[in-house]
Amino acid sequence: MFGYVRPVLNRLSEDDRAAYQSAYCGLCRAMGRRYGWLARFTLNYDFAFLAILLSGGQGGGNTCSARCPAHPLRAPRTCLCGPGLDVAADESMILTYQKLTDDVCDHGLLTGLPYRLVRLLFRRPYRRAARARPDFDRQVRDGLERLRQMERAGSPELDRVADAFAGILACAGQGQVDDPGDRRAMEQLLYHLGRWIYLADAWDDLEQDARRGRYNPLEARFAGQAKQERAYVETTLTHSVRLVAAAANLISFGRWTPVVENVVYAGLPAVQGAVLDGRWNEMRATRRIREKQINERSV
Amino acid sequence: MRDPYEVLGVSQTASDEQIKRAYRELARKYHPDNYQNNPLADLAEEKMKEVNEAYEAITRIRSGGSASGSYGGGGYASGGASASQGGYAGASGGHGFAQARQYINMGNLDGAERILQGAGVKNGEWYFLMGSIAYRRGWLDEARQNYQIACQMEPSNLEYRQALNMMQQGGYGYRPDMAGGQCDSLDCCTSMLCLNCMCGGCN
Repeated sequence: MFGYVRPVLNRLSEDDRAAYQSAYCGLCRAMGRRYGWLARFTLNYDFAFLAILLSGGQGGGNTCSARCPAHPLRAPRTCLCGPGLDVAADESMILTYQKLTDDVCDHGLLTGLPYRLVRLLFRRPYRRAARARPDFDRQVRDGLERLRQMERAGSPELDRVADAFAGILACAGQGQVDDPGDRRAMEQLLYHLGRWIYLADAWDDLEQDARRGRYNPLEARFAGQAKQERAYVETTLTHSVRLVAAAANLISFGRWTPVVENVVYAGLPAVQGAVLDGRWNEMRATRRIREKQINERSV
Repeated sequence: MRDPYEVLGVSQTASDEQIKRAYRELARKYHPDNYQNNPLADLAEEKMKEVNEAYEAITRIRSGGSASGSYGGGGYASGGASASQGGYAGASGGHGFAQARQYINMGNLDGAERILQGAGVKNGEWYFLMGSIAYRRGWLDEARQNYQIACQMEPSNLEYRQALNMMQQGGYGYRPDMAGGQCDSLDCCTSMLCLNCMCGGCN
């Protein structure tokens, strides 16, 4: 998806870092197993975090050992497995495919060709994923359709546009959490996280959208003056992160608590700072959040 | 009831000081302030109650079972429904939107919105309540705009002012004590400073 949701690795203990790595590798393995080697290329941090959220409380989950196709000469990696990973793999496949459909719609016949090709390759895996999670598939299609309509109308109603996307994520934990209180909290957690991702991405796209004359929810909201409203955007992003945190604190994540706390209290603020300062591409490229990249401004 | 030590996340052999610290940290985490007008306020209240009871039980066990019911050291109140569920009851008095407030507190946001949309007058309270509905949906931009109008219409109203202040600060921030137990007795700002120093913020 976007890869905004990641931990600050060197603030995790060695054990927790290894655990995070096992979830990331576990998701990759689950995607490969369920949807073929090509699906592994769509792996991203956001869904690794979802896998962790959905594996919480189960004592940490089972692990197995598998060789990484990207590093065939290295020793086999520890991979987390279990239902949380499968759900994250399915949902990742569904969202990837639907986003591709979106991209196809956004582009013309010729420029949309690469998207069409990639989409074709993922058609069969997508169908399998949609069969496994029909409810999520429907919610993604509905949400993205709502989003498309509002984008086409150039809606200045920031929250409602973000709501269409956040609503999709809020469904991502459906049926995976037994306790009714935890279920409510999980839904809130994912909703606010979705809002944050959508708005962070909108800020990140400001220049590109302006260049290409495309709709941007922040430009629409602030009548073309979004860059001047940085403080306002920062406040609302921070507020969303705090609501993510408030929801996360009510769920027992067991073994995953330090990782979840790290992502929420250190990872999200660091990424947010980088996105707002225009340093996100640099951070994404290094693939690891370094200490010097962490802003003093924190949530 | 769960094992009180487990609730506080400490071992049975923990010192009184460690237990107090764990208790304080959890009480800070589930404090009603962090869940004001939050649809999860009831869950936080439950947690707070559980934490209070666990601390109370441990204190009782350790003092030989005599001090039943006393908190030992500075117990936090569990908030109570009126404070954590939004705190509307107090100020609502004889206003016209009591029903809408009630719906909001019950989580029936669509019902509350219908009442407000059908209302003839749009006063400060109307905008405040529209803001509260938006807030509970996670629509923070709309919430802030509505609170702003409420404050402009009735600048002397404390309830509206508080809500707007909260939005301007970006909500309430609890930070866990991830640094290893050195900062938690300090206030929030100092511990932020601590964190900054440790990650090179003071260089």
